[in-house]
Amino acid sequence: MKALRLYLWLVLIQVRSQMQYRVGFLLETLSVALGSIISFVTLALVLQKFEGIAGWSLGEVAFLFALVELSFGLMDMIFSGFDPDYFAAHTRQGTLDQYLLRPVSLTLQIFGSQFILRRLGRIFQGTLILVYAVQLVNIEWTVGKILYLPLVIAGMVLFFGGLFMLGATITFWTVERIEAVNILTYGGTELMSYPMTIYQDWMRRFFTYIVPAIFLNYYPSLYFLDRPDPFNMPFVVRFIAPVVGLGVFLAAYVFWRFGVRYYQSTGS
Amino acid sequence: MRVYWEIAKRALSRQLTYRTATLAGLATNFYFGLLRAAVMAALYGARAQVDGISLQAAITYTGLAQSLIAVISLLGWFEVMRSINKGEISSDLLRPIGYFKFWLAQDLGKAAAQLALRGIPLMLGYALFFDILLPQTLWHWLAVFLALGLAVLLSFSWRFLVNLVGFWVTDATSIGRVVYIFSWFLSGFLMPLRFFPDWFVRLCYLTPFPHTINTIVEIYLGVLTPGQMLRALLLQLAWFVGLTLACSWVLRRGIRHLVIQGG
Amino acid sequence: MFFGASEFDITKAQAHNDATKRLSQVVIRVHDLHKYFQVPIRQRGRFSALRSLLVRRHRLVKAVNGVSFQIGRGELVGYLGPNGAGKSTTIKMLTGLLVPTHGEISVNGRIPWKQREEHVKSLGAVFGFRSTLWWDLPVIESLELLRYIYDVPLARFKDNLREFRKILEMDAFINTPVRSLSLGQRVRADVCAALLHDPSLLFLDEPTIGLDVVAKERIRQFILHANRQRGTTVLLTTHDLSDVEKMCQRVMIIDRGKLLYDGQLESLRQRFGGKRELVVELVDEEDQISIEGAIVTSRQGAQVMFQFDRDQISASELIQRISSNYRIRDLSVREPDLEATIRRIYEQRLLEDAV
Ligand SMILES: Nc1ncnc2c1ncn2[C@@H]1O[C@H](COP(=O)(O)OP(=O)(O)O)[C@@H](O)[C@H]1O
Ligand SMILES: [Mg+2]
Repeated sequence: MKALRLYLWLVLIQVRSQMQYRVGFLLETLSVALGSIISFVTLALVLQKFEGIAGWSLGEVAFLFALVELSFGLMDMIFSGFDPDYFAAHTRQGTLDQYLLRPVSLTLQIFGSQFILRRLGRIFQGTLILVYAVQLVNIEWTVGKILYLPLVIAGMVLFFGGLFMLGATITFWTVERIEAVNILTYGGTELMSYPMTIYQDWMRRFFTYIVPAIFLNYYPSLYFLDRPDPFNMPFVVRFIAPVVGLGVFLAAYVFWRFGVRYYQSTGS
Repeated sequence: MRVYWEIAKRALSRQLTYRTATLAGLATNFYFGLLRAAVMAALYGARAQVDGISLQAAITYTGLAQSLIAVISLLGWFEVMRSINKGEISSDLLRPIGYFKFWLAQDLGKAAAQLALRGIPLMLGYALFFDILLPQTLWHWLAVFLALGLAVLLSFSWRFLVNLVGFWVTDATSIGRVVYIFSWFLSGFLMPLRFFPDWFVRLCYLTPFPHTINTIVEIYLGVLTPGQMLRALLLQLAWFVGLTLACSWVLRRGIRHLVIQGG
Repeated sequence: MFFGASEFDITKAQAHNDATKRLSQVVIRVHDLHKYFQVPIRQRGRFSALRSLLVRRHRLVKAVNGVSFQIGRGELVGYLGPNGAGKSTTIKMLTGLLVPTHGEISVNGRIPWKQREEHVKSLGAVFGFRSTLWWDLPVIESLELLRYIYDVPLARFKDNLREFRKILEMDAFINTPVRSLSLGQRVRADVCAALLHDPSLLFLDEPTIGLDVVAKERIRQFILHANRQRGTTVLLTTHDLSDVEKMCQRVMIIDRGKLLYDGQLESLRQRFGGKRELVVELVDEEDQISIEGAIVTSRQGAQVMFQFDRDQISASELIQRISSNYRIRDLSVREPDLEATIRRIYEQRLLEDAV
């Protein structure tokens, strides 16, 4: 309880100072939203022209795209303290010292250390496209689907959050941020926005068995859209998104707790 | 002239020292290229050609687009803005060299380095993974590099112009970002402009953006007749000259503004 | 200073006794502590970026290399050493920021890095050149947030704040955001923040670095206040010797990761101070002056300066000898200054094998 209140307090401080420059804040939010809207509009125009991709209609691809966008946007807001691009500054400049001096969980403090309100832009437009996609596709909603949707989003938030944590932890050794992690995070959102059949086998296998991205968006979407599975996996894999997400997150968390010991601070 | 040459050389060798970052950037660009190529292939399906672009050409296009990212700073370049905001500009202005040319020289040096370290290696990597198109004659290669050079100049001048907003707005990066995002679309970076309706493409060509990526791509892929090619190159040149004049006019007003406001 | 030195000695000696009494309650125990850092070597030459990507070469920096000491409850210890000696690294291990490479630390019976959260509750820390306060918040709001983080009862918080505000003279800037404070103000705010939760231990890493004389003095007063009035155990690193002279009875000297000296400031002077000086003003100008056990280093009219070694002759004996031959109008003893003493220790590595 105390932890939650402290987190909210830390977040509030940042929201307050970000709101001080209101025009700047609005423009930033707009530019963030604009980025994904433009890429979606391009995609929509092209899909219309080509009449879908790999047997998926515009609405179906939009559904994939929107789920990832929405989840990544949420994750980016909650986990931005662990964003390797930002976290690397802590290990480089030794500013983790000040968090370690306080009698509160370090993880909680890092969660509260960076909260970027303008990321709302991405969440907002992700929601918008999701609504649009759902209208376009005519999903047959059942109780199961309605209950499962938030779990899928939570699974992806944990998955991407885990990747952020992993990237942050690696900086304890490398000090510099590792760009390869961006391939998994930002590259992951791009990859997961399309049906997995379009990729070459080696790539799909990599994102099935090594980085289990396929279970987070593609398989749940097969369920929502009532599509058959071209890869003949057991039916149940459509429902493991939250478990996979949680697993990736927990693994990253254990790694993070281990990595903190290797924090070196900096020589003055 | 000599001094600008030296500035460009410094900028080039500075880029060479960030080699690890460059390598990582190359990997990222290449990975996204793979995804984009997969999307292209899936879009085409059984189609042989769309709007005069074959699948082979479309895949080559994704490689070109990815390899140009760093060369023309497509993801954003805000250095001038920053130096205005921080007040560093006053000391830059004390130097006996032109401010625009000072930055242009740096940008050219950087572009050359990025072409050598990221642009060309990426295309070579593409050639390993895919069966890409290559220009067949010397003249064709010449035209490609001419278009590339002009595109770098032209891209610099619009980026510089956007940066000058910093004279009037304190945190202009968000404005800058909005312009960059539009440029992804309008320049033909996200998709070849040919895929879009004619009236829309004509609209795009009213802005400077398609003269950067889309022009290079169309010249490279050989979808233009020699006459069209010449016209495209001349248009690039015209935009560069026009934007440069605009830059110097705005810069003068900006400096006057700065002097009156007292920095 | 007429015989003033000996009076000074008595107060110091008393303090020494107090300290030894308190030492029965050891709060910090450090045994054979080591901390090594792997520092990558920048490679030069062709393909260096690629090479360093594949195999990074490292240099091992032994920042702390076998340090042992104990500190008792209520002591105020100065930790001295030149730049890069290993002071900050030691403090960071004591506060739980760094995990030792080897060796044992126990603070209040806890292992700092293992029981970090419990551990930091009972300590306050100030790092001179880095603030632990929230950049965008006014000082008072930072302090209130800290009250919440440390669970300080409201009444206690108010009392402490009232007291600290007065001693540190913080009223002028308590509502100013930290980012707009001057360095002196910022350090004062940080010192205040470090003590609000009544910690039993206070660690200060170069608290007075870069401060003007007035701000330095204020902070020293405050540290002394915390130590005397509240019984807070204090360990402070510095390379400003006036800090040590004004506050500490006990000093530890570290250089290149090894402790060179641990003991009373006064005995440090006595052991390594080198030659003392006696300045005597005689009633008459004498032609020839010579005294056994001392040499005359300068003369100006009736004023004569003797240099002598404390091992061979005591000041009072020397004065007796002089006064039995000449008539003295006035005299004073000059101790070698601490700065010179310490410099001698570093330069000549006098203590290399002493500890
Ligand atoms: N995080 C670190 N990484 C690498 N080297 C370090 C680090 N911290 C300290 N050092 C090195 O360890 C030695 C001791 O540093 P430090 O404890 O900061 O000394 P002091 O505080 O006495 O000036 C120095 O050589 C310093 O460069
Ligand atoms: Mg230090």
